[in-house]
Amino acid sequence: MWFPMWSLTRPDALSDESVLVVDDRVSGATEDVLMAGVTLGMPRRDAEALAPFATVLIRDQSDEARRFEPVVEMVEDLVPRVEVVSPGLLFVPVAGALNFYGGEVPLAEKMAEGICRLLGEQSGGEALVGIADGPFAARWAAATATPGEPHVVEDTIGFLSRLDLLALREAMGGEEMIDTFRWLGISTLGDLARLPRETLASRFGNHGVLAHRLATGEDRLVDPRDIRPELGVQMTFEEPLESLDAVAFAGRSLAERLLKGLRAAGVAPHTVTVSVEAAYGPVRERIWRSADPFTEKALIERVWWQLRAWVEGEGVPGGIVGLGIAPADLSGEGRQLGLLNDESSNIETDRALARAQALLGPERVIQGRAQGGRMPGERVVWSRWGEPETEIERDSDAPWPGATPSPSPALVPPRFTPLDVEWDGGMPTRVRLGSRWEPVLTWSGPWRLSGRWWVGERDADRYQLVTSVGAFLCVVAEDRAYLAGVYD
Amino acid sequence: MGIEDVRPTDIATDISAPFPDQRTREEGFLHLQPGRVTELVGVPGTGLTRLGLKLLAEPSRVGTVVALDTRGWISPEAAWETGVLAERLVIVRCDDLILWPKVTAALLEGVRAVYAEVPARVKEHDLRRLSALARARKVAVAMRSMGNGLPTGIAHLRLRALGVTWEGADRGHGKLKKRRLMLEASGKGAAGIVRRFEVEDEGTDVVRVVSDVVVDQARRAVR
Repeated sequence: MWFPMWSLTRPDALSDESVLVVDDRVSGATEDVLMAGVTLGMPRRDAEALAPFATVLIRDQSDEARRFEPVVEMVEDLVPRVEVVSPGLLFVPVAGALNFYGGEVPLAEKMAEGICRLLGEQSGGEALVGIADGPFAARWAAATATPGEPHVVEDTIGFLSRLDLLALREAMGGEEMIDTFRWLGISTLGDLARLPRETLASRFGNHGVLAHRLATGEDRLVDPRDIRPELGVQMTFEEPLESLDAVAFAGRSLAERLLKGLRAAGVAPHTVTVSVEAAYGPVRERIWRSADPFTEKALIERVWWQLRAWVEGEGVPGGIVGLGIAPADLSGEGRQLGLLNDESSNIETDRALARAQALLGPERVIQGRAQGGRMPGERVVWSRWGEPETEIERDSDAPWPGATPSPSPALVPPRFTPLDVEWDGGMPTRVRLGSRWEPVLTWSGPWRLSGRWWVGERDADRYQLVTSVGAFLCVVAEDRAYLAGVYD
Repeated sequence: MGIEDVRPTDIATDISAPFPDQRTREEGFLHLQPGRVTELVGVPGTGLTRLGLKLLAEPSRVGTVVALDTRGWISPEAAWETGVLAERLVIVRCDDLILWPKVTAALLEGVRAVYAEVPARVKEHDLRRLSALARARKVAVAMRSMGNGLPTGIAHLRLRALGVTWEGADRGHGKLKKRRLMLEASGKGAAGIVRRFEVEDEGTDVVRVVSDVVVDQARRAVR
């Protein structure tokens, strides 16, 4: 069951307004915004350019999960053991319920009634229901359904065979592999399914096998081994936890403990069951599912969403006295160690960087990528670690006449910093470093830097100044010298 | 260490590094060792930031490496030029004296190698604990103090920049092309003997040792 526009159910998305809900990409948009060419998953910048009239709201997945909880509860009243993937998308195992309700259509009608009762005509509350063998096929059946009319797939393999290869992207990534398939003349999942699995395994490894499994409708990759009960983690509290902060802290440490134990066993979960015991109430459970094995960051996020939904929805009367997370659908991804890379190291690295991020804030743990430009400061585009990469504005492979030559300065101030330079007949003679003046031993330049006049930039000159304690990149504009880099 | 304690990446590190007997002793000084702290000492401008980033190039082939930046000025472009893989380099900016030890400790728990600028006035006992943590976690660390150097006993190897000369620029003509940096190695990693040598850097991923070793017996066991 998929609510493609679930982001629009937020109270500040007014029904008579054009609204665009985004994080880095579009997660929800009203009809008129979609008519302007915006699509789900489109980069935020492109969407804003296409629909400048729309009110832009920043996505809050935690709040979406809180609002989604009543829907999950309603569905769970009809069919137990539903699996939540993200706010707005859940998988319902219907095999057992079909006999009870008398088929797919009556079951879907029951669900539609419940949703209508719960959400009414609320914007973003239109559900798409797809029924097929396995979550991957069901997800695409829902994507091709129309509101109020469930798409029941009788022949799952036939349905999958007509899907474009792009369907694989959401389930497993592998952009490069998809491009290679296209280059080889494979354009649909049917073409892919007809290839021998061994051939894909030898050419593309595990990723190729996974793609083939999805294409042939075998997407449930459950580890056949028993899950030892001690792999689950629990915490009990003598004093019931009532504040959100305390609950968040407990959830976080429990999620960390779970993954630590699983790492030691060499496995990672695709599915987890989060359970809480309320001081005055029953034990509540919710299953969360992920296409990739849960990373620490992803698991902490899901646990937090779920706990927040229960606490704020008054689902745990009297506070939480017990908290547990149990893994299921274990993947061997943590067990299969590569020669030059291993999953446990990656998980440790992710955890270390996530801690640094928690201490310093996300904008201080960053990664750079090369882009085009003439000054050192322009040639790097920064992205926060763990978040989608910022788009490159200027092609680094394009010719950049007048670019400052390599070697690049190792230290580049974020903004030009005023620098005291003494000149004699247009030649630099001394430069002030801290409290002392250093003679300029030699220099190169000036190299003209034509400013972008259309944004008010003036022309400037660049110099490389060499002193006895090092070399500096200096920019002179309007008779003032600025430090643009240190060749440290 | 039992066989089960050896991670594939540990083996990979050994495979990717040249065999020790293929390196001269001075070239060995320009490679980080897992679990050891290398201290870089010198005034800004001598080229130690670039050298510190260069030290991350080899570990970046097998895992994520971090440059801990206290000034917010480190440019990844220089790191890429020295051979650090762009997708494996994370820059962490921390100018807070209180948070710096905590952030460094968090990073030592999970990354392969760290080049860390050390703010002046970081407490000595924090540095000793970080050094012990790096040893326990087998993380290769290069530290550059922004103050008066690290206290004795923290660094396994100490590389001090004695002077730098540039070639290529000439009273307005040409451009900066080649840097020659005179370094002095000391500490346990240099077998307790002070050794001076010169390295040449042309802005690529190759840093060559160009001059003969100078063994200064008079300055044995300086720190």
